[in-house]
Amino acid sequence: MTIVTGKTEARRKLQPVRSGALRNIWAHRADYAYVLPAIAVMLVVIAYPIYYTIELSFYKTPPGLQLRDKTFIGFDNYTTILTSEVFWKVTWNTLIWTFGSTFISFVLGFATALALHRDFVGRGVLRAILIIPWVISAVAASYIWKWIYHSDFGIIGAVLVGLGLTDRPPNFIDNVSTVLPSLIVVNIWREFPFAMIMMMAGLQTVPEQLLRAAKVDGANAWQRFWHVTFPHLRNVSVVTILLLAVANFNSFIIPWIMTAGGPSNASHIWITHIYELAFGRQRWGVASAYSVLLFLILMALGYFYVRALSGNERKEGSA
Amino acid sequence: MSTIAEATARGQTRRRMRIDGWRWAGRIFLLFMLLYTAVPMIWMLITSIKSGFAATQFPPQWWPDEPTLASYQKLLDPQNSVGQDFLRFFWNSLFVSTVTTILSVIVAVPAAYAFSRFTFPGRNFLFFAVLLRNMFPAVIFLVPLFILMRAIGLVNTHGSLILTYLTFGLPLAIWLLKGFYDNIPVQLEQAARIDGATRFQAFIMIVMPLSTPGIIATAIYSFIGAWNEYIYAYTFLSKNEQLTLPVGIQRFFSENTTDFPGLMAASFMMSVPVVVLFLVLQRYFVRALTEGAVKH
Repeated sequence: MTIVTGKTEARRKLQPVRSGALRNIWAHRADYAYVLPAIAVMLVVIAYPIYYTIELSFYKTPPGLQLRDKTFIGFDNYTTILTSEVFWKVTWNTLIWTFGSTFISFVLGFATALALHRDFVGRGVLRAILIIPWVISAVAASYIWKWIYHSDFGIIGAVLVGLGLTDRPPNFIDNVSTVLPSLIVVNIWREFPFAMIMMMAGLQTVPEQLLRAAKVDGANAWQRFWHVTFPHLRNVSVVTILLLAVANFNSFIIPWIMTAGGPSNASHIWITHIYELAFGRQRWGVASAYSVLLFLILMALGYFYVRALSGNERKEGSA
Repeated sequence: MSTIAEATARGQTRRRMRIDGWRWAGRIFLLFMLLYTAVPMIWMLITSIKSGFAATQFPPQWWPDEPTLASYQKLLDPQNSVGQDFLRFFWNSLFVSTVTTILSVIVAVPAAYAFSRFTFPGRNFLFFAVLLRNMFPAVIFLVPLFILMRAIGLVNTHGSLILTYLTFGLPLAIWLLKGFYDNIPVQLEQAARIDGATRFQAFIMIVMPLSTPGIIATAIYSFIGAWNEYIYAYTFLSKNEQLTLPVGIQRFFSENTTDFPGLMAASFMMSVPVVVLFLVLQRYFVRALTEGAVKH
């Protein structure tokens, strides 16, 4: 979808010099040298795998990676997926995971950025502490939280028992109904700092004079936020939400290390499910078909993603 | 007269109270976020200085009766097999992350500069293609990349990791740096070129120094990404002596499932380098985000 947009844009650019598109490319040959290394790496590591995944998705593959013995079966892998019950379960989990994590991370990050905007003693230290979870590896975070949720020695369970709320420490991640929310809490822990940094950066671009003018005109704190600050942050908000959504949709480590999709698929999301199909059950063909479906979804999302990320591009172009 | 004064006074107190309300809500919220962020990390540290026995008590010891650094000694002792493994994983992670970082900067800087300054045919298409890379999850590329790496003989080498890590750091690096270059006035370069500098000299001597925060931010981002990466390392490497920290720790503790103090100590030490690096350089990072990504 986006690729098409890109091509037409390029073509539009070329039109004035229609007589020599090739000459134009030749005239700019030196420019390509700058982007060549980046493009070359991308081609090897991205274009080839995409092609290969699409090819594999139409084949029945033997276990092991003896892919010479694969047989062509058309769209069978796709029908297998769309008619399986697990597919809908996993899709539902993925939606909850992606929307829940993205929305709450963004709101918490934005609120923290606002609360940190005013100067006070210890602000720098507080900000530094709040960023740390984002930097910590997801593997370490998964282990830390697994230990916190531990059904016998976990700190949350101990506090709940200590307060007399339950008799026994609850079992957060071995329980079908609590496992997904528990993992989302971990994910938000790691991700809200990113939203916070982005929104802090955004807040610095809100002109101080406008806020002061609004104050002189009698606007209260909420009105100043809603009519001055927020409109200025629209672009950065869209970019942040999209980056978070893509990262969440693609996340793997936290559910994989903490539960490996269990219990009974309650915490499987698309990515962990694909990984298990491929490397656990060695059903490469089905896993590839899943990947292609994922691709299509991501391309649709990608349209908005690229538009948001290259926002300034368009403005310059139209000006 | 007096009623007016009273009314103004009342209005003022009401306004002050309303502002104070927001301020207090902010403080309470920050306190809540601080607890949410810090408690898990503090609990990790406290657990790491317990003995294995003290860690598995109920109710838990909030502060260990006998704090001990045994877990750290074990992990850092080159004589002991656990320590040997841990230090090797640490070294592997450091090597892979450093090489990835250097290469990303070398590749991203010229690309971002070209996307910002030149208008060659296909520029938008290529820029979008680069950005799109970030959309796709590692898992999609795993099987074909594994086959590819096997074909070019890179399986079980750190080269396979460096090559793949490069690509997922690049899109954001290029995007961030491009935003940075967009904000550097072209006139500066033009002035240098009038004075006889070549385009390349102008780039090296004028543009590069001005974009240092962007380059530092890019470098931190690549380093942290590579240091924390798990799934490719998990798939591409099978020899114990080549594992990077996240995979090494996961392998080790899936065999020793009850050594919680050891696991927490290892998690802590794995986090230290990136956290320190980030905290030291974070002002560049925030500045780069402000100038590169937000200020359009």
